[in-house]
Amino acid sequence: MTTLTQDALRKLVAQWMAAGKVCVGPVRVAAGTVLFQRLASAGDLLLDGWLRPANSIKELVLPRHEPLYGYRADRNRIELLDPPETVPEQIAICAHPCDAAALPILDKVFNWDYRDEAYNRRREATTVITLACTASDDECFCTSVGLAPDAERGSDAMLFDRGDGTFGVRTLTDNGRAALGDSTAKSGKTNPPPVKFDLFDAARFASRHFDDPFWQRHALACVGCGACAFTCPVCHCFDIVDERSGHDGMRARNWDACQFPMFTLHASGHNPRHTQGDRQRQRIYHKFHMYPEKFGETLCTGCGNCARNCPVGLGVLPLVTEIPHAEPV
Amino acid sequence: MSGTEGFSPKIVAYVCNWCTYLGADLAGTARLEYPPNVRIIRLPCTGRIDTNMVVKAFEVGADAVLVSGCHPGDCHYTAGNYHARRRWMLFRDLLEVVGFDMRRIHFSWISAAEGRKFQQVITEITERTQALGPYRPYEAVPARPQCGAGASACQPAAAADFPAQTKLRETAARLLSEGAVKVVIGYGARGPVFITKPEDAARLVWNESCFANLTTYLKRKEVGALGKPAVVVKGCDERALVVLEKESQVDRAAVYSIGMACSGMGQPKCAACDTHQPRFANETIASDGAPAAPPVDRYLELDLLLAKSPDERLAFWTAEFDRCLKCYACRQVCPMCYCERCLADKNRPQAIDTSPHRQGNFAWHLSRAIHLAGRCVGCDECTRACPAAIDLRLLNLALARAAETKFGYRAGMDAAAEPLVGAYSLTDKEEFIR
Amino acid sequence: MQNLYKPDLMEVIAVRQHTADVKSIGLRFLDAERARQFTFRVGQFGIFSAFGAGESTFNICSSSNWRDHIEFCFRKVGRVTEALWQAEEGDTLGFRGPYGHGYPFEEWRGKDLIFLGGGIAMPPIRCAIWYALENREDFGRITVVYGARTVGDLVFVDELAEWAKHPNVQVIQCVDPGGQTPEWTGEIGFVPTVFERAQVPADKAVALVIGPPIMIKNTIPVLERMGAKLSDVYTSLESRMKCGVGKCGRCNAGPVYVCKEGPVFTFQELQAMPMDY
Repeated sequence: MTTLTQDALRKLVAQWMAAGKVCVGPVRVAAGTVLFQRLASAGDLLLDGWLRPANSIKELVLPRHEPLYGYRADRNRIELLDPPETVPEQIAICAHPCDAAALPILDKVFNWDYRDEAYNRRREATTVITLACTASDDECFCTSVGLAPDAERGSDAMLFDRGDGTFGVRTLTDNGRAALGDSTAKSGKTNPPPVKFDLFDAARFASRHFDDPFWQRHALACVGCGACAFTCPVCHCFDIVDERSGHDGMRARNWDACQFPMFTLHASGHNPRHTQGDRQRQRIYHKFHMYPEKFGETLCTGCGNCARNCPVGLGVLPLVTEIPHAEPV
Repeated sequence: MSGTEGFSPKIVAYVCNWCTYLGADLAGTARLEYPPNVRIIRLPCTGRIDTNMVVKAFEVGADAVLVSGCHPGDCHYTAGNYHARRRWMLFRDLLEVVGFDMRRIHFSWISAAEGRKFQQVITEITERTQALGPYRPYEAVPARPQCGAGASACQPAAAADFPAQTKLRETAARLLSEGAVKVVIGYGARGPVFITKPEDAARLVWNESCFANLTTYLKRKEVGALGKPAVVVKGCDERALVVLEKESQVDRAAVYSIGMACSGMGQPKCAACDTHQPRFANETIASDGAPAAPPVDRYLELDLLLAKSPDERLAFWTAEFDRCLKCYACRQVCPMCYCERCLADKNRPQAIDTSPHRQGNFAWHLSRAIHLAGRCVGCDECTRACPAAIDLRLLNLALARAAETKFGYRAGMDAAAEPLVGAYSLTDKEEFIR
Repeated sequence: MQNLYKPDLMEVIAVRQHTADVKSIGLRFLDAERARQFTFRVGQFGIFSAFGAGESTFNICSSSNWRDHIEFCFRKVGRVTEALWQAEEGDTLGFRGPYGHGYPFEEWRGKDLIFLGGGIAMPPIRCAIWYALENREDFGRITVVYGARTVGDLVFVDELAEWAKHPNVQVIQCVDPGGQTPEWTGEIGFVPTVFERAQVPADKAVALVIGPPIMIKNTIPVLERMGAKLSDVYTSLESRMKCGVGKCGRCNAGPVYVCKEGPVFTFQELQAMPMDY
């Protein structure tokens, strides 16, 4: 079918859920907040009235808390317990191109020589149905990092909002065809955001101006929370923790953020990044210099979540656009 | 809700070493039988019992919790139990708002001579819990998404500047060029700015997007390194300065506060605000705008929540806390969260699980709320900062009301008032302690 | 399903206490097949764990020629190391590894070897020294200068004495001024000073220097004065690590992940890296 009505889409979602698939889509959780959440019912799926959810779909491949294995301790004997082999099939509905493109970008680090099977299992079980954007706001900058409101990277199928309660459907992969049948609708008007900075300038500054006082000055307002990293579609830093209760315990990985002061703290007390400016620099350095050098990918999809969620108005775009005005060293 | 077949309740009792523990011992030596369901955890004093220990007991599967210690006046450490009592008075209100089953949380004074009382208390608690059945608070089904009033989006909408903006810029420029201060911490177009040169004062704005509580920057060493600060404060923010000074975190003489009279920023807290006018600032810039509307009842939303049953409340908070990512935005923006090493970041012992799972999220938010009891000034920055739109405001209101109704206390309103937590009174009410 | 983060279970076969807060532990694989196939390169590290406390990163401080067990050495500073401190023979610990690059011994063949270490930095040098002694013909003159704040902070002291007995091996021990005991017969002074006093030619040498930043900072100029090229001077970087396999994003020093692209670096490489470690 080349066109889907909103109702038909919800019916499909209900069918997928009845078949045991985990469906994730935009849900209104508070008056001013829409988040990607696991749908409890197809009716929760919010199909209009939002620009983009305040979080991302990376939870599907990298859960915020993921048990890696369990263990049982009996005196000095330990038994390790594997997590379940299979993960349920999961479908993201109405992700944006900036969400979808994140997945092929993340594939690189999670398969860099060592293959992270926990990640790969979830990746293989995930189908991404993307909704192309027809509007953007001041925080969007996908076009500055090589993407577009209808970029197909990472999507299994794409929906185009016709503005009349129906979507055009374009299936791109086998997974997409399995979900929605064969379909080749074309993109409509997308109103892409203007390019707001030069990607190479940003990368160059990050790599060559490590000690520039710009970082310290810029980071004064940063309070050192993880709101930017945790709502970012591609930030993937994690912690590994050991939680034990009595004889049983488990090791899990949890999301972590380079903005936290303890992120690089050594047991000796030495901290290579002991100011917030160092930590802000690391974020940009990782996204625009280190990841591209290693994997040929910018670790940023221009979604703008960091800036929208930052309680003090910082974010990748505000920082990077300030770079050309940084006073010379 | 009746006990299942073969259900034998697990009771955790946190007791003080000098009274209740010895009372339990006495019950043993006097051969007074009591049910074997209780696991006794001995601590030096009830004053040492952290509130997160009560929550922890439920995390690991307790069906009821008892906290017991020396009678007031008999504490081995003189005042430990007085501190504990005041803490419990506030914590119970918090647990109630969150929807815990208060029939499963017990407090008592049992002395070393009261072996029989120990027997009676344990027997009664066990029987009652047996009748109530197993307790599984962490298996509550999350409530459906609710769309009540939430704090505005973090990004300031294009806001019209208030008339006082000009005066503010002049004041900042003057203070800097006179050398009275080295940095002005104020609001810029996107968020907080740190103005060090008089000519940059033009970057300061004063409009409906000036949400942040800038006093939180006074604890930052990178900001301190810039020199003596002036900080722009609204009446609500200023209360934080009062608390910070009371807690010796800020030397009031070393900070120049520029008070901004404010008619509201369109946030939920603004409708109930009664501190539109700063009261302790070094200089205050008048509003020149429309006067503020009279305040509505500040506990309205809390009353709406309390109208629900405990189970409904627990379902509500389960849904809220399930969204928590442990990004700690709430903590980092809060002026009162200034501990160099937060309890959540300590791992010997791991008092609060760092994982963003249900237990870890409940533990975090309950701990933070109680640590802010009597200190939170209601600036609601935590609520605004939360990227998952968790309604932290309600937790803060719960404890603010406990402080106000039980002690007539509102944080940051009276610079001369004795702090709420950290002080105690011999006449604190203890009708909930047997 | 292969689980990258699942550790091997190890039995503690030996615990040795070196100082008031430093122990080394010997481990053998509980799985016999794994024990048979396990190999590593000297200089690689492992992530060792105490179940119930967590994981921690340590160099594998035993020689790769010792096929029946591996060793690691640690100072008791935090939660995990406190739990490791309690380990006794027969206990089960976890091990993930080997990770990182080891020392490039193939490139060091035919050269003199200079080992300079301070305090708790001896373990990653110790394994290299044993390996070199076990392949003695491959290397020229071996010099070891090892110092600590006080006599009580020196580790592996019995092995230091043993190494000195090997042909063409010079071992110099030193303690900081004021750290000596009346019976001390070694040198008194900081490692860079003592090394300079020893006037060891370094033009045909490869050096491995591990220690606190101040020691390294003062040792490099001495090495250069003695003829060493910075591309022949090596170190092993420390970093806070969690995954060990280049994924968790925490250990990078500038553009390199210390876990996966290190931890062994030459000083020429280090000079090109920003101060992010």
